[in-house]
Amino acid sequence: MTVVIGFEGSANKIGIGIIKDGEVLSNPRRTYITPPGQGFMPSDTARHHRAVILTVLKEALEQAGLKPADIDCVAYTKGPGMGAPLVTVALVARTVAQLWGKPLLGVNHCIGHIEMGRLITQANNPIVLYVSGGNTQVIAYSERRYRIFGETIDIAVGNCLDRFARVIKISNDPSPGYNIEQMAKKGSQYVELPYAVKGMDVSFSGILSYIEDASHKMLSSGQCAAEDLCFSLQETVFSMLVEITERAMAHCGSQEVLIVGGVGCNMRLQEMMGVMCKERGAKLFATDEQFCIDNGAMIAQAGWEMFRSGQVTELEDSWITQRYRTDEVEVTWRD
Amino acid sequence: MHVTHELELFPDHRVTQMLFKEVKNAAELRQCAVEGKIKGALINPTMLVNPFQVLVAANKAVNLQKIGKMKTRSLYSEIIFNLSPTNNISEAFKRFGSSDGDDSVLVVLVHDKDEPQLLSDITARVSGRQVPAEDVSSLTDHAKIKKLYKITPQEEKCGTLLDAVVCRMASKDIL
Amino acid sequence: MAQEKSMAIPEFLSKAELLKQGAEARVYRAEFLGKPTIVKERFPKRYRHPVLDEKLTHRRTVQEVRSILRCRRAGISAPVVYFVDYTSHCIFLEEIVGSSTVRDHIASTRQSDCSNELAWLAERVGQILAKMHEEDVVHGDLTTSNMLLRHQEDGESELFLIDFGLSYISALPEDKGVDLYVLEKAFLSTHPNTETLFERLLKSYAAASKKSSAVIKKLDEVRLRGRKRSMVG
Repeated sequence: MTVVIGFEGSANKIGIGIIKDGEVLSNPRRTYITPPGQGFMPSDTARHHRAVILTVLKEALEQAGLKPADIDCVAYTKGPGMGAPLVTVALVARTVAQLWGKPLLGVNHCIGHIEMGRLITQANNPIVLYVSGGNTQVIAYSERRYRIFGETIDIAVGNCLDRFARVIKISNDPSPGYNIEQMAKKGSQYVELPYAVKGMDVSFSGILSYIEDASHKMLSSGQCAAEDLCFSLQETVFSMLVEITERAMAHCGSQEVLIVGGVGCNMRLQEMMGVMCKERGAKLFATDEQFCIDNGAMIAQAGWEMFRSGQVTELEDSWITQRYRTDEVEVTWRD
Repeated sequence: MHVTHELELFPDHRVTQMLFKEVKNAAELRQCAVEGKIKGALINPTMLVNPFQVLVAANKAVNLQKIGKMKTRSLYSEIIFNLSPTNNISEAFKRFGSSDGDDSVLVVLVHDKDEPQLLSDITARVSGRQVPAEDVSSLTDHAKIKKLYKITPQEEKCGTLLDAVVCRMASKDIL
Repeated sequence: MAQEKSMAIPEFLSKAELLKQGAEARVYRAEFLGKPTIVKERFPKRYRHPVLDEKLTHRRTVQEVRSILRCRRAGISAPVVYFVDYTSHCIFLEEIVGSSTVRDHIASTRQSDCSNELAWLAERVGQILAKMHEEDVVHGDLTTSNMLLRHQEDGESELFLIDFGLSYISALPEDKGVDLYVLEKAFLSTHPNTETLFERLLKSYAAASKKSSAVIKKLDEVRLRGRKRSMVG
């Protein structure tokens, strides 16, 4: 029996989760929400995380009904992410590991998403679409690495959606993406936007600057409603994501797709991916906001796999990094 | 002598090609075609590289006829038009259609089943010598074809003259 | 006469051999006008909005035909186009009989460790791509699966480029740099530990054309953008 606690705080969520051999014992989380029109700044986000992290830690232990002595390993997000929040969370993880006398493990955030997705959905060897505010990648496992077959060549899809939300002042509560999704359901008029797929790669910056520019004109002239723009933006960027996922499936001969990351809980994206999979006789695996959105359990789960395969991070190596590619990690726990 | 090919896309359509040399009544034949006494396309064989070229033109013509998108008034004029690399109809007829002074002609027929009567009607009308349709290659005017289809010397390195011609015929709608 | 959809092509394809279903199209093998033929059918993608679907499908069919013609004109081997139907979005192409993908070739050769042959192949690919970019054709989906190798009787091999659906015409070094970047990622993720081989490809690309150095510079920029991107969340 192995129990791992995971600390995650690479962006505006702070989460701590505890995993015992594939079972999620607890997974509390807090989100730093900024006013409409504003993104989250690193130092403010770090301040938010500092203020709540001990409360969240207490919750995690209480909900799991565990004492520090029951924990076998302390996992934390090493990167990628925002520097200041990463440092804050790593510092707490290091401290409790020393207080409790437990080994530490620095975990790649993206690997956390993938392993949590695999645990929850039981997908065996899927093509992974990892979509969030900072990442857009199509990943497949081969020869001990999660290899990136496709990704964004500029900004992430979630970043594109968030920044659009800021432009037309959509609320950030609970998240800009969620509110775009709700508004898109009321949209009907399809507005043509640029479509930028390059093989298994995508580009969103052109779409963002186009819609930033066009939205003011179109909204003030009454040519379309904000709901129509939300609808059209989702239809366009999600089509691109489904297309590159399908291209990777065809390329790798895979019959499974797993969607992870914050944008992955968008039901329209899941619906479109489901239609594509059905057409190919493939299977779609997705999770809900509990596990799609950044959380502590995902770091605990990746940490659990790493710990079981014999990895630990020495104290002097327990630094963080803002840039940490998914394919840098040697996957020692899979064949 | 003649070659007949059943169109794979349109199994009830067959394309027959008959080649005649030493033709003495080209003008008369052309008149017959205009009057509808010959139900077929009369083609200048020096502009053909291979019977396959005609099949490509005929298949496209039948397809466009089925979907109501022909650019000319009949299936046979459409076949001639399809051989041309450009979208200029009168230019296509001038280059690829039979002319009054020609001493050879390739007759293209589109029919639904084997029709020996149709073929013997044609042979009866043409005063000339029928030769195997494949022999069209011996009449090909390579220089003229290369010029008309604007075929580059590099292009012949990656394929035959026929390849180059067919590619242009197939893609002319989007140029 | 009103335009109607002919059932001839769907009926024909229902009897053809389905080779694969790619991200864009179903690919069939059949005999057409007496020749071995590959049919690429861009069927409607029901996951995407019908307006977007129609626009993409039509544009890609047209681009594929255009770029094939442009490449062949420049002496770059690509399959001959026999017939295009824009209502069912089908392209009928020459089948490159007796060929295998560069991807399969690399995979099987690496097992037997014939590094000389692979080096030759990488250089050849680099040259062809330089030539293609010289013609301002940006392929848009370069992978080792989209290159075919046909061994000829004289021992020489002929390299074909295929799948031009995402291609477009551009003279911008940026677009060509992204084209190589897409290939680099597909290449290295499909064939792990082949960095030196890909280096060789790029070197030969750089040596083959005067326009290459600007493209390689852009490639470096695009790579850097990827590494520099903060990856929050």
